[in-house]
Amino acid sequence: MATKHPPRGGPAGRRNGAAIAVLLGPFLALFALTFVGPIGYAMYQSVIGVERMGALGLEGSRTVFVGLDNYIEAFNQLGFIEGFGTVALFALVQVPLMLALATLLALLLETLSDRWAGLFRAGFFLPYGVPGVIASLLWGFLYTPGTSPITELLGRAGLQVDFFGYDTVLWSLVNIAVWQFAGYNVLVLVAQLKAIPRDLYEAAAIDGASLWTIAWRIQIPLIRPALVLTAVFSIIGAMQLFSEPLVLQLLAPAITDDYTPNLSAYKEAFTNNNPNLAAAQAVILAVVAGVLSFGFLRLVGWRRT
Amino acid sequence: MAIRTIDRRTLLRWAGTGVLAGAGASALSACAPPRRVATEPKPPPPAGERVELDFWTWLPCKPSVELWNRQNPDIQVRLRVITAGPEGGYQSMFSALEAGTGPDLAQVEYEQLPAFLLEQGLENLSLYDVEQYKDDFIDWQWEMCSSGGQVYAIPQASGPMAFYYRHDLFDEWGIDVPTTWDEYRDAARAVREAAPGVRMETFSPIGAQWMMALAHQAGAHWVRTDGDTWVLDMVDATTRKVLEFWAGMIEDDLVDLAPISTASWFKQLQTGDAPTLLGASWYDAIIKGNAPDTEGSWRVARMPQWEAGAKTSANWGGSATAVLRSCEYPREAAAFAHWLNTDPESIDLLVKAGYGWPAAVGGFDGSLLEEPDPFFDGQVYNEVFAEADRNIDTSQRFPPTTLQMYSNINDAVAAAVAEGTSLVGAYERAARLSGDDLRAKGLDVREA
Amino acid sequence: MAADVRPAAAPQESPANGTGRRALGARRRPSTSRIIIVAALTLAALYFLIPAYWLAVAATKSLGGLYGSFGLWFSEPQLWANLTALFTHDGGVFLRWSANTLLYAGVGSVVATLLAASTGYVLAKFEFRGRDTVFNVVLAGVLLPGTALALPSFMLFTELGLSNTVWAILLPSMVSPFGVYLCRIYAAAAVPDALIEAARVDGAGEIRIFATIALRIMTPALVTVLLFQFVSIWNNFFLPLVMLSDDRLYPITLGLVTLNSISERVPETVGLVVTGSFVAVVPLAVMMIVLQRFWRTGLTEGGVKS
Repeated sequence: MATKHPPRGGPAGRRNGAAIAVLLGPFLALFALTFVGPIGYAMYQSVIGVERMGALGLEGSRTVFVGLDNYIEAFNQLGFIEGFGTVALFALVQVPLMLALATLLALLLETLSDRWAGLFRAGFFLPYGVPGVIASLLWGFLYTPGTSPITELLGRAGLQVDFFGYDTVLWSLVNIAVWQFAGYNVLVLVAQLKAIPRDLYEAAAIDGASLWTIAWRIQIPLIRPALVLTAVFSIIGAMQLFSEPLVLQLLAPAITDDYTPNLSAYKEAFTNNNPNLAAAQAVILAVVAGVLSFGFLRLVGWRRT
Repeated sequence: MAIRTIDRRTLLRWAGTGVLAGAGASALSACAPPRRVATEPKPPPPAGERVELDFWTWLPCKPSVELWNRQNPDIQVRLRVITAGPEGGYQSMFSALEAGTGPDLAQVEYEQLPAFLLEQGLENLSLYDVEQYKDDFIDWQWEMCSSGGQVYAIPQASGPMAFYYRHDLFDEWGIDVPTTWDEYRDAARAVREAAPGVRMETFSPIGAQWMMALAHQAGAHWVRTDGDTWVLDMVDATTRKVLEFWAGMIEDDLVDLAPISTASWFKQLQTGDAPTLLGASWYDAIIKGNAPDTEGSWRVARMPQWEAGAKTSANWGGSATAVLRSCEYPREAAAFAHWLNTDPESIDLLVKAGYGWPAAVGGFDGSLLEEPDPFFDGQVYNEVFAEADRNIDTSQRFPPTTLQMYSNINDAVAAAVAEGTSLVGAYERAARLSGDDLRAKGLDVREA
Repeated sequence: MAADVRPAAAPQESPANGTGRRALGARRRPSTSRIIIVAALTLAALYFLIPAYWLAVAATKSLGGLYGSFGLWFSEPQLWANLTALFTHDGGVFLRWSANTLLYAGVGSVVATLLAASTGYVLAKFEFRGRDTVFNVVLAGVLLPGTALALPSFMLFTELGLSNTVWAILLPSMVSPFGVYLCRIYAAAAVPDALIEAARVDGAGEIRIFATIALRIMTPALVTVLLFQFVSIWNNFFLPLVMLSDDRLYPITLGLVTLNSISERVPETVGLVVTGSFVAVVPLAVMMIVLQRFWRTGLTEGGVKS
């Protein structure tokens, strides 16, 4: 539809200007305060440092401009850099696992009648209502020998599993994320599947296609764009991994204070009292997340407007 | 923070390029006073005004606080039980200090006081006549709360260490209580033979504090100052000896490898799968609280010794009641802290809460600590801790980066234990990183 | 992908299948494959539901029972005693946390939705200089996850004297770039220009047109934005963790984690954590299931939250 907006300028235009200001102003002000401001302030904090006088700095301290020193130190910190590796590995396993499970369940649900599918779907979706930290507390109990029926049952079967071990704890974290979000993705995919025109199925049925063929030839290709996008956002989400490892840290020594980049920044800010280094890490993190998202979305041509 | 004006130009550049939102810029240009240790006392509360003090601690000491509040209607204390300091409590404190919303009083371990000093997070209590309290406390603990002749906190408790053990199981297995580390190793072996699924002690891969105490017991000094220079000596011959002892215990499969004070360890306490603990005096409440059904099965003995016949112990933990920078009325806060930690009734209540060993002179005498305890088989188990407290090397010093040092140790040891590499190597790595941490604070460091 | 966020103006299920859509599997198939399918789905349902079931069972147990009895079956249930302990702990602080959570998530999501609606509407229906810039900046906000902002926000808010106040949580919660994005697309497609023109001709002011006409038409999108924002506020743990030092301002999540972290010294808090988690999860879980059908518009973008 060819939109006819009131012409700019003149009384109508001025009236519009006021309306735009009223409707847009509050959001922009809050956006500036909660998005632009913090990032700007973190950038400022990341280029300054503290200079201390005396053995315990009791003779005073002052703020000095240090240029990129904090960034150099951030990149020199092995733990911080390794944190990126950890979350990348987490994402590489968690995202495909979650999406494969969600796709399988969505396809299976499509074969059921609406009522049964709805019931199952509701069950799958329930964990989405459990916040990440509570999910972590909950799974913490389920991983801990003593409160866990899982270790107890495995124990009876003669299996000793340490969910908090050095090489297992990451998979324990993966499981929490899969548990929480797979059901949500089932819902997304089911909605996509429902949008597939019925005549496609009917045509396939006339051709005598098996369920398998229908899934592979019709359904999966049609939900692929949704899968790709979900994957991207999940990967970016994984970069931000924080509360799950923070909660499990009390139980699992393998989760160090710089297990993920966010944990590193938190540690620098409040345990080590290096707010400037923390600011540099937060900026690095934001830049990496931003570059990843924009880069990828450009690649798939998301921004069609 | 201090010289805000110097950086204003930088700041304005950001603002000018539109990076900084207007709101942020205007706030930044406000000048903050430089942070320095106060030399003038803060004004007292106006006459007739009720003073309210926020007190953060991880010690469940509500009864003491309630008692104070009943007796002092003009100075009301609001208790908040927070996460144990090293597990996040200090983070909350530092973040609140940063935000200018810190509590008035907080529990701070002796070893963390330097870190709070470095961040200028403590009130200089010498401005409020606290010297009058000096003689009420054990000397070395008072010293722990002082720096450069000024007092920054009121001592609360120390954590003398001893050997908790399940005497019923030791009897059943026919094992004698070890008095030396050699006997300790033999006892561990005997436990494994008597009950193949059980390991005597749990070696926590994230037990930096515990290991430091054990090294101190052997005579190591990890940290000292030489003028304005910090001297780090974390892997000296003595520490090596201790580390190699534990490496041997791990190698011979004589210890359980898991963090302690977790739900699964509590379960082991209940089932007898964790029959001993080299623990501080404040662990009594933790054992009682988490394994109430084992009443009567525990006893306490002196720490195993490197030399037969010696009585050396070590300190694990131990806290002060600190008055933080955010406190408006430090004199009243210090008065409460003094009462909390010296009043006999309060001490009894703290003892029940499991606060450790009284820092107050004579705090032990006539207190609940002197009574036989049915949980510990009727033993007057605190006599063991009383002796231990007299046999602590009180010359230990701590850097302003103790938490980072622990974190370095825990990360390195957890990795070494998981990968089966050398404990000594882990400590060498941790020592290197700890030196860097001090340097990053702009302090002088020397590795011995 | 923009297609996926188009308003579902038409009901999701086309009229052709309106009366109980025939499932794919309704065609006659060997019953073994049907059994396998149902078995697989049941297995998955167990995976998703057993932890919740464990929580429900654990919430009824004493501390001894929690450690000493099999996790998946009841043992001397004492739910009432546990609930009493929870709600009377520390002068009823749990109730306060619950109220805070409702305040943050409730008020935050409602305001965020209204702001997203007005902003999305303006971006869709008005032409003005800088419109594309505004939209692009907001889009950048969509792609920047909340946790990356928590620490910088703390630093700035501290300078402004806002940290450790309810505003420290409320203000960031009132901003939903994703909501703006969704509302813009929805408004562009669903609010007819002709209707706006007609209202203008009738002499209605722009604000009134938005409030009386556009808002109503945009309702389906607004419900989605509201739900997403509600869940994301409820889920955001990092922000309250760094912002709040006064436990009277905590949301439930932070309160429970704090309780959990003192359980070493105060063992009975483990019971409080379990019961508290249960109490916190129940209303949300019910809400999830009841409102399931609203999680459709803009579903794909939901990946942002995961």
